[in-house]
Amino acid sequence: MRIDKEDLPVPDPEVTAANRAQNAIERGDFLRKAAMLAAGTCSLAVGAAATVSRREAPARVPAQPDGADLDNPLERMRRELERALRKPMEERKWVMVIDRQKCIGCKACTVSCAVENDLPPGVVYRPVTEDEVGQFPHVRRVFLPRPCMQCEKPPCTPVCPVTATYRRPDGVVVVDYDICIGCRYCLNACPYNARTADFGEFFTEPAGREAAGLVGEPATAYEHRATFEYGKSRRREHGKERSPMGNARKCHFCLHRVENGMLPACVATCLGGATLFGDYGDPASLVHELVGSTRVTRLKEDLGTEPSVFYLA
Amino acid sequence: MNQPRQEKQADGLSRREFLGSSAFVGGMAAFASQLVGCRAFREMNSGAIGSYALADPKNTLYTTCLQCHLACPIKVRVWEGTPAKLTGSPYSPQNYLPHLPYETSPDQAAPADGKLDVKGQSGVQTYGDPYRLRRVLKRQGPRGSNKWRVVEFNQFIEEVVTGGKLFAEIGDERHYPGFDEVYALRDRDLARRMAADAKKVGAGTMTLAAFKQQYSADLDKLIDPDHPDLGPKNNGFVFQAGRIEHGRKELMKWFTHDSFGSNNAYEHTTICEQSHHIAFKQMTGKTHMKPDLLNCEFVLFWGTGAFSANFGLTCMAEKVTTGTISGRLKTAVVDPRLSNDAGKADWWLPVKPGADGALAQWMIRWILENKRYDARYLANANKAAAQADHEPTWTNATHLVKIVDGHPLQRMTAAEAGVGSDNEFVVSHRGKLLAVADDPKRPVEGDLLVDATVNGTKVKSAFQLLWDEAFGRTPDQYARITGLPPRLVEEVARELTSHGKRAAVDMYRGAVQHTDGFHTGCAIVTLNMLIGNFDWKGGLQVGGGHWHESGGKAASIYNFKKMHPAKMPKFGPPISREKSRYEDSSLFRDAGYPAKRPWYPFTGNLYQEIIPSFAQGYPYKGRILFLHKGTPALASPAGDKVIGMLEDPAKVPLFISSDIVIGETTMYADYIVPDVTYFERWATPHATPDVPTKTSKVRQPVAKPLTEEVEVDGERMPLCLETFLIAVAKKLNMPGFGRGAFVGHGDFHRSEDWFLKLVANIAVGDKAGERVPDADDAELALFRQARRHLPPSVFDETKWKRAVLPELWRKVVYVLNRGGRFASFGTTYDGEYMKSRFGKAVHLFMDDVAGQRNSLSGKFFIGYPAYRGQYDSSGKPLDGEGAYSLALITFKEPIGGQSRTISNYWGNIALKNENAFVLNPVDARRLGLADGQLARLRSTANPQGVVDLGNGGQKELVAKVAVSEGIRPGAVAVSWHYGHWAYGSADVIVNGRRIVGDRRRAAGICPNHAMAVDPILKDVCLTDPIGGSASFNDTFVTLTPAVSS
Repeated sequence: MRIDKEDLPVPDPEVTAANRAQNAIERGDFLRKAAMLAAGTCSLAVGAAATVSRREAPARVPAQPDGADLDNPLERMRRELERALRKPMEERKWVMVIDRQKCIGCKACTVSCAVENDLPPGVVYRPVTEDEVGQFPHVRRVFLPRPCMQCEKPPCTPVCPVTATYRRPDGVVVVDYDICIGCRYCLNACPYNARTADFGEFFTEPAGREAAGLVGEPATAYEHRATFEYGKSRRREHGKERSPMGNARKCHFCLHRVENGMLPACVATCLGGATLFGDYGDPASLVHELVGSTRVTRLKEDLGTEPSVFYLA
Repeated sequence: MNQPRQEKQADGLSRREFLGSSAFVGGMAAFASQLVGCRAFREMNSGAIGSYALADPKNTLYTTCLQCHLACPIKVRVWEGTPAKLTGSPYSPQNYLPHLPYETSPDQAAPADGKLDVKGQSGVQTYGDPYRLRRVLKRQGPRGSNKWRVVEFNQFIEEVVTGGKLFAEIGDERHYPGFDEVYALRDRDLARRMAADAKKVGAGTMTLAAFKQQYSADLDKLIDPDHPDLGPKNNGFVFQAGRIEHGRKELMKWFTHDSFGSNNAYEHTTICEQSHHIAFKQMTGKTHMKPDLLNCEFVLFWGTGAFSANFGLTCMAEKVTTGTISGRLKTAVVDPRLSNDAGKADWWLPVKPGADGALAQWMIRWILENKRYDARYLANANKAAAQADHEPTWTNATHLVKIVDGHPLQRMTAAEAGVGSDNEFVVSHRGKLLAVADDPKRPVEGDLLVDATVNGTKVKSAFQLLWDEAFGRTPDQYARITGLPPRLVEEVARELTSHGKRAAVDMYRGAVQHTDGFHTGCAIVTLNMLIGNFDWKGGLQVGGGHWHESGGKAASIYNFKKMHPAKMPKFGPPISREKSRYEDSSLFRDAGYPAKRPWYPFTGNLYQEIIPSFAQGYPYKGRILFLHKGTPALASPAGDKVIGMLEDPAKVPLFISSDIVIGETTMYADYIVPDVTYFERWATPHATPDVPTKTSKVRQPVAKPLTEEVEVDGERMPLCLETFLIAVAKKLNMPGFGRGAFVGHGDFHRSEDWFLKLVANIAVGDKAGERVPDADDAELALFRQARRHLPPSVFDETKWKRAVLPELWRKVVYVLNRGGRFASFGTTYDGEYMKSRFGKAVHLFMDDVAGQRNSLSGKFFIGYPAYRGQYDSSGKPLDGEGAYSLALITFKEPIGGQSRTISNYWGNIALKNENAFVLNPVDARRLGLADGQLARLRSTANPQGVVDLGNGGQKELVAKVAVSEGIRPGAVAVSWHYGHWAYGSADVIVNGRRIVGDRRRAAGICPNHAMAVDPILKDVCLTDPIGGSASFNDTFVTLTPAVSS
């Protein structure tokens, strides 16, 4: 059972002409759905453009004061996180809210995540796709960060032949690297392309070995360092094919950080302040507030997957 | 324990049901055995996940990034001695909004991570680049052949200090100069006397004969005894730095200027955005201002933005996005290409490349015509008048300017007008002349529009000059030049003038990297001046500044300006002739206009001009080129022209490069001395004016050095710039290094002897009572534990302690534990004003500029904002597009820097593995090009579309086409970051072994090598004669279909 690498749905952050054409179809799709929206259905296709003008429906998120009373949303979310961690796991529900108008397409989230989890070539947990809408000179640029949706009804977990992947009570869909056999069924099952496969590659191989005469082995140590996903220390080492090499990999809301009182890496670094995170089980939380926005939507709502990632369109 | 059951419910399909229905052939037995593990995992995870070792404060150090010049304070999580994860520092106002109180302990700050962009995050791979250099390399073939052998550090120092037939081993019998030979004038007192008298020779107040007679015994120490004002032979040493920042910058000058006595120490600013600094400096005296983005209601970003590069992305982005979403802020962007900012802005003005100055004049015209300017602010002619109106600043808009032979030459003095003294200027107040007193009790206001004759001299107010300039073209003419519709420009001009003081125009690189960059920059500052927004909350701000690490303030302990034991004078012009007037030189006395190459009285750090001047020997020949962290061959427009110069030892006799990797220019060096990355060294960078609170950043060693550890004078240290400078200085017995290097403050043997004194100055602050607290015992213990991975050659507490006064040590630790010093967010505002203020005059008319002539044409420069199109070094308008129909512009993606991020696989390869020619579909059709197709870039300067790398081969200017609606027709945009031919992308031979390059690092294109060459000089790019900016955006090119080679 071998799936060729080329067949993998690895999201390509670059928008080529080909997938622009594809998106154009999806936009058409979106327009139909927009009509449904008026009838009470909320849906948005992956990669679809925000056709609603930015100024039409500004969500009045906490007012922006101009002085020392300015509250840092990261600090607020950290306080909320500490509050949530005092509750039993079953009573908290981690959700993410991504404000697409605040996303500036800088991709700091993609790389912060990659460094946090020391991701190898081909593995990406949080791509940001970009699209250009309109014709010169009336053109807009829109971005779509795409972490794992942490679905309440995840299509990826039932197809796992070894139940290595499952949804935790707090809403996070995880992969048990010790169980995963790398069959990649889950990659195909995910309608959001949120999973990628770890083929055991390294950025600095083989070129790094070639250059060892210049500086030597320690230079590439970062590719072999211990990582702490799911709270367990693991190393990816060349020539030692052990987990997570060969496994399916995905965003896990940085559980190892969250459960230690830290925000997910993408949230902490989001330059535009577009990515917000917290406990939906806490009605006083920032995310609870934002999910009540008139701009709220989820990706592919019609599939019934019930994502825990909400977008503000 | 209940989780498996819950899991079934959530999935709607139990594990057993799944296994029963599966056609999977993997074998049930295997599943059964693994299920045990599965259950164990879930049980393990039913409670909290394990602790996170990287979050431990003992594995955390604070320092300052250098992936771009924004230089963010960062938190480095170290694992087994190497940087594992980087985030913004929560103590830093650039990265956490608002930032944590400075008093927060490192333990409390541990879980708080600040923001950091892609470049910053990827820094792990700058440190961990397998192509980094460890030991000194000496070339083993002709320059550029990339054949090297390793040499011992002390042998290298011996060779470059002594000089001689250094390459006899490869059959080259040429004499190479050493430092010893170039360090000709060593007597500080003699140098001072000679410098003073040589200046008189230049000015024509002392004869050459008299000079020669007086210094007959020492004429051999001069570059040219017939032109003594060119200075001593010492000027033959040129220190050219690409990226160097405070702390190191002062050390560069300490070594080059003060100790060695050469007037040649440079940064790279003119290939960045120098004309913007010079425009600000001439108009305000400050070199940099930024909008107060937290309170602006409208910002016009000009050739820049808050979302990609600028100064910079990380600190500005959130202020704009939150402002926009809350409804407070609207934005507009001037850029021929739809940047991420433009793609999200309320207005996009896709101006024709090179027409920025015309657009600014058009907006000025509309504002004047519709009386949308702040007339009351502009009427204030002095400080007293401004204060009466509660305005922090005032302007010389009303001051009268003498028109001599049709040229607005100088402001008229009150003495000339017969109304006061000759150190006062003059205004017309309701038609009556008044002296502009510098007297806090005598407010003076003036009429804005004055066109008159005073005592027989024609005069106009500065405002009248602006008016005449702006009205010199009709809106139709402006529309044709800029390619923009009048309605759009009017809308934006109206918006800019609809928010009182709470609006601003921010500019950067795009607006000013033109030959008319200075005047465009001035016109943009003028747009701010017309609404009088300086120092107002929501207007333009100077930023919070910093505590002065180099000392010289009331409370400073170490005054670096006065600590040098034998400081040499600056003697002779810099080889780039910057900050120097041709008319003051004996060369002018001999030859008059035109000068052989331009002189640049108003600007500095003229990067693109250094090597061509060095090679041409004008105004004198260079002897030793020391390039540090720079790559002019790659990063300068027409940078390929320097390759031939660098390859010729007759033009560049000795070439040493300090680099972390063998870069595009370093590959042509005789010797490469490895530097460390910013994780392994010191600096004290300053903050962008976007930061409104006082900020002093500290960079310090946080990771074990990957370069060779060497011994200098009994001290062990890693190879790096400082080690090189200390070793050379000690070998030459140069004052300012070694024993007694710091008058009254001991010796300079090691890096920390220099840098910890800077940190100590930051810790004590500028004024009495500003000292930071002492680190307590717990913090001191943490300080040591967090550095346990650093070798004694880097961190030896006794040696660090020895560098500062004993009573300052714990304060230094307090600062180092936080990676700098940061004033609290509460110090940002003072009522309706910024707390940190500029508070001075804005010069709409600039006497210095108006009184200076172009050294080639002999014609006066224009001393107020004006638009004259693009021109060559003599001021002659450039030829039009000719056969080349596309205007080339460049831009930065938020994912990379200009020349040094290709080693960052996460950012520059995984996210985007090459750049492309961004082209409007109209042009693509016209040129027969399709999206994704390979094309070749051609221009007058490079008709073949091939870069000649000399001994390094050639590089094709070929990349893919990206068809986009996000660019105006007639323009083509190319991003940086790609198109490398070295920097780990090509093979090199070291000690006979081939080290294969990583071809991924060679992808894409660097557009510089199609850029226009100055038609008069022919060996350097087009340059703004006033601001010095290298022109990146005034070249016409074309694209032709290409096949991949």
